[in-house]
Amino acid sequence: MRGQKLFLLLLSLMLLSGCVQKEVVDDVNIAVGIGLDKKDDQILGSVMIPVYKTDRSIENFTFTSKGTVTRDIIFQMSHKSSQPIVTGSLEVGLFGEEVAREGIIEFLDAFQRDPSVGARVYLAVVDGTASEIFKGNYGDRGNAIYLSGLIQQNTERGNMPLTNVHQFLFDFYQKGKDPFLPLLKKTQPDLVNIAGVALFKDEKVIDSIPTSKMFYFKLLVDEYSEGTIKIKADNKESVIKSLKSKYKFRLKKRSPYEFDIHINIDALVSEYTGRTVSKKVVKKIEKQLERQVASECTKLIKKFQEKNIDPIGLGHFAKTQTRGFDFTKWTEEYPNAEVKVSVDVSIAEVGVVE
Amino acid sequence: MIIGRQVGIMHKPIQDRFKISPFLPLYVIMAMQIGIGVLGFQRVVAKDAGNDAWISVLGAGLIIHVIVWVMYKICETVQGDVLTANVYVFGKIAGNALNSFFIFYYILTCAGVLGGLIEIIKVWMFPELNTFVFASVYLLLAVYIINGGLRTVAGMAFFSLVLPAYLLLVFGLAVKHADFTNLLPVFDHTLIDMIKSGYRMSLTYLGYDVLLFIYPFIKEPQKSKKWAHLGVFFTTILYTVLAILTFAYFSGGLLEKSIWPTLEMWKIVQLPFIERFEYIGIANWAIIIIPNVAISLWVASRVTKQVFHLKQRKGVIVAALLCLGILMFLNSRERINMVLDLTALLSFAVSYLFIPFLYLSVLIAKKVKKK
Repeated sequence: MRGQKLFLLLLSLMLLSGCVQKEVVDDVNIAVGIGLDKKDDQILGSVMIPVYKTDRSIENFTFTSKGTVTRDIIFQMSHKSSQPIVTGSLEVGLFGEEVAREGIIEFLDAFQRDPSVGARVYLAVVDGTASEIFKGNYGDRGNAIYLSGLIQQNTERGNMPLTNVHQFLFDFYQKGKDPFLPLLKKTQPDLVNIAGVALFKDEKVIDSIPTSKMFYFKLLVDEYSEGTIKIKADNKESVIKSLKSKYKFRLKKRSPYEFDIHINIDALVSEYTGRTVSKKVVKKIEKQLERQVASECTKLIKKFQEKNIDPIGLGHFAKTQTRGFDFTKWTEEYPNAEVKVSVDVSIAEVGVVE
Repeated sequence: MIIGRQVGIMHKPIQDRFKISPFLPLYVIMAMQIGIGVLGFQRVVAKDAGNDAWISVLGAGLIIHVIVWVMYKICETVQGDVLTANVYVFGKIAGNALNSFFIFYYILTCAGVLGGLIEIIKVWMFPELNTFVFASVYLLLAVYIINGGLRTVAGMAFFSLVLPAYLLLVFGLAVKHADFTNLLPVFDHTLIDMIKSGYRMSLTYLGYDVLLFIYPFIKEPQKSKKWAHLGVFFTTILYTVLAILTFAYFSGGLLEKSIWPTLEMWKIVQLPFIERFEYIGIANWAIIIIPNVAISLWVASRVTKQVFHLKQRKGVIVAALLCLGILMFLNSRERINMVLDLTALLSFAVSYLFIPFLYLSVLIAKKVKKK
């Protein structure tokens, strides 16, 4: 009898503990993409919500609202929504160019503070406005999947270095390193292009790298697992698939600073316009690629030094090599630091034909 | 028990069927050491020594072995637990007054740990969680476990460590996003900074003092020594590895902003079957906390029994109710932090001041009483 009573008491307590806010997938609007643009003095926010149709197709619906901070904008949107808007499944965050030029860290606070937003969310800067990108219909799996797939695919197999919320915040809060994000541009009504890499100084975009130079940028900041570059040697074009790349920094001298960057590339030839790919030709392509990478990378670094930004993290590297590192002195000396790039290319495979 | 009889306290020898195997202290100590602190110690530790703090973590862990050695010495000398030792050294009234402090201390520890868990559940999963209901159910479970005796409690400690051990593998997924150059240059901080960090870390390691209470329940305590030391050593390694991984995963400024770095590292994890891993992790943490609550309440009720001769079954319920009462006041982060800081401070005083002092006193008292 006593046991039974205790059991009933326990059972009722357990039932009570289930009294928390439920979020059933069918009854909420799942925000998968968020975009922020500048409009007059305020921020125009857009939220992308996929609508799953009964015939298994996905339609894109966009809420827009004006406000000053991210959370408030989402709250404003809920005035127009029949179901609560939840951010637990966010895939992409886009920042219009104007917003990005004025700093994005205050908006990222909402991403960081909310435990329901993952650290893998992709961020990107838009050449133009984010709302314009949200207006289109891309792919058949919804806009957000298209956009996150666009960045993911180009990160894993293309020339885009790894970027996401965590990576951005990591670089932003790392002394001696500046963050960067993909730059997107809407080119056709149903297509969005990767237009390059947007470079930040602190939290503001101040420059960008065009797609043609992204290959060299990725060599400096990330490790390649796959990637492609076209080489012209002896008037014959060949396409190199870079299988693997690694970079290594070395600090040679401190005052003035002198760095050695060594890049190692293992690649294979995937297309060649000449007749045969002989050993000699391969050697030539290797030499040409080495020269090309070294000069382009040096140019990039010169540009960073002129703009006084450090996306490759030379400051952080210098700090790891120096006890009692002085960052204020470093900022003065960075533009005058000398950086030498040396490259080692080895082409192992030429494909299935000679 | 010889000494016990000499000073006239009634400690019945504990029957063998209530005793635990010599290897179980490993789990009891580890389970007690790993609680809420492991979710957020990295930021606190890095305040002074920055990227070198992992050395402090390792150092602070190694010092514990000395304390464990001293604790065994005390218990061996008086042939009983710390309660016996206190009465032996300070006499019945002063000794028991000192002993009743432990009731307060362990109830507070229990409230702090459970309060911390509830806070995390509220922040990360369910903001509307009802503290009272959740805590009641949780404490009922603890009372139920304690009713099975220390053997059940120790068994629970075993399961709560072994079952969620797979969580460690998940941290491997954060390695890909870690930059281990963050740890360089090594020894970039002064020794004073490292010691300060070591002090902060010693607060996270606490919990091993439970050995003072379970000693009489260990079968062949001589054999249990190596297991107790091994338990402390495993905890040290776990914390050190976690600290190194955290310092690599977060850049300095980012770590300063993260309250629960361990949980935040799970945000990067994406598995095919689950979008967000923290939910599994936090749910698992509810299992990891069970022995913390159960052991604390067990000690509190055990001391009550020894000092006030209250039956342990009743003592547990009183302790649980007191704990629930304290929890009702822990409704903000400041208050929870206050309780956690207070218990940490008390615990530090017990481990690093009281235990060595007690050891010396026991040695002196033994000499005096022999004459």
